[in-house]
Amino acid sequence: MNSHCNVKVGEAAVEEFHCNNGFGDLIIDTKKSAVAHRKHETSRKEAEDESNLPALEAAYTSILRHLGEDTDREGLLRTPLRAAKAIQFLTKGYHETIDDILNNAIFDEDHDEMVIVKDIDVFSLCEHHLVPFFGKVHIGYIPNKKVVGLSKLARIVEIFSRRLQVQERLTKQIAVGISEALQPKGVAVVVEAAHMCMVMRGVQKMNSRTVTSTMLGIYLEDPKTREEFLALAMRN
Amino acid sequence: MEHSKKPKYSSGDTKDSEDSVSVLNGHFDGIVKRPAVASQAAESGSHRATTSVMESWKEERTRSLEDNEMSLPSLAAAYTTILRGLGEDPERQGLLKTPWRAATAMQFFTKGYQEKIIDVLNDAIFDEDHDEMVIVKDIDMFSMCEHHLVPIFGRVHIGYLPNKRVLGLSKLARIVEIYSRRLQVQERLTKQIAVAITEALQPTGVGVVVEATHMCMVMRGVQKMNSKTVTSTMLGVFREDPKTRDEFLTLIRS
Repeated sequence: MNSHCNVKVGEAAVEEFHCNNGFGDLIIDTKKSAVAHRKHETSRKEAEDESNLPALEAAYTSILRHLGEDTDREGLLRTPLRAAKAIQFLTKGYHETIDDILNNAIFDEDHDEMVIVKDIDVFSLCEHHLVPFFGKVHIGYIPNKKVVGLSKLARIVEIFSRRLQVQERLTKQIAVGISEALQPKGVAVVVEAAHMCMVMRGVQKMNSRTVTSTMLGIYLEDPKTREEFLALAMRN
Repeated sequence: MEHSKKPKYSSGDTKDSEDSVSVLNGHFDGIVKRPAVASQAAESGSHRATTSVMESWKEERTRSLEDNEMSLPSLAAAYTTILRGLGEDPERQGLLKTPWRAATAMQFFTKGYQEKIIDVLNDAIFDEDHDEMVIVKDIDMFSMCEHHLVPIFGRVHIGYLPNKRVLGLSKLARIVEIYSRRLQVQERLTKQIAVAITEALQPTGVGVVVEATHMCMVMRGVQKMNSKTVTSTMLGVFREDPKTRDEFLTLIRS
């Protein structure tokens, strides 16, 4: 029946669950709706960036004035333009979709062992304070006849991280993005980050880190697979 | 808020200060005891050329808590414009109060403009017959790059040789806070900290080392994750005597 779902778990109950490439429909739909505001994918075209600059510049000039600074001093003369371009760069994920970057790099490969890409540096902007958070992403997946170019995993991270984000949503979007592109047997994503909004202001806890994870497919079903991923990815 | 007044907290003429210091060959006397030598203060706008050096650390606040309250709506409006300009939807749940949060956060990141050194230091200078080096190191520092409005963070190491007067140790960290919580350039920050300590204590020498990571280099632009920028200011005997400087640099490294 489901020869392509031939996973090494063994329990009948779990096998039955493994229709549809190891993802219960219910689970993936729930997760998809949880990461919706899909309308923001390509809500911004790259070509529009230039035309948006003047409004952003004016906003930054206003911010500098209202912070009590002198916008005519040498160091700040071109800051509104630089800051506007910088924040456009930091939110360039809105330009891009998974399809754009993945289309050519999916290969048929008879491999069904875990593939892990770890220690991917991630930089994002907290959507609540517009202050950076950054850290590392570890991604693991078990291919189902289709493997993806390794750098494409890092590119998927870039697409979703270069946005106004919440770490939980970022983690889920990466996982769901990979699972939709590849239909693998399972995807695991762990994000470990330091939030400047907690470090530079507010509670001001220098050394705190936030860790979030999303496990899909066989990583969700099978504790041993999950353990293997965590042992390999989180090992220092 | 007095926009008409030229601000005293920032300097475009770091280079001038540099020249003056080298002209005086780092003689501490020249920096402290000759107020007529103009533009030594790190935070001088053009109008301050004639202001006494000794006055710079008693600079005025350019912002008050009331100013903050009054600016908040305009800052929030500016942030709403930014959100729209980035293609986001300011009405969605996660972003509803973001303009206000971002505005308050930015005011916190620039709260150095609300404070005066003299408020922080006045009571904590003590007469003590100590003339050995005092070092406070690994002071975490957070600032904002004035060119990209993106965070800078790192550590500050401060050392000074007292001249009969010592400073409460946390006051060194407070001086760092006042100058770092501003729109800054790392070179200027380092010098401002050193000059403030000099003017407050008249010590025999002061050394300040700042090592920081600039998010504008890490998150964008060249994107070099592990790069660090190190700047230092040595005044008085730290500048003149290589052995003193060595001792300081060795102790902060360990």
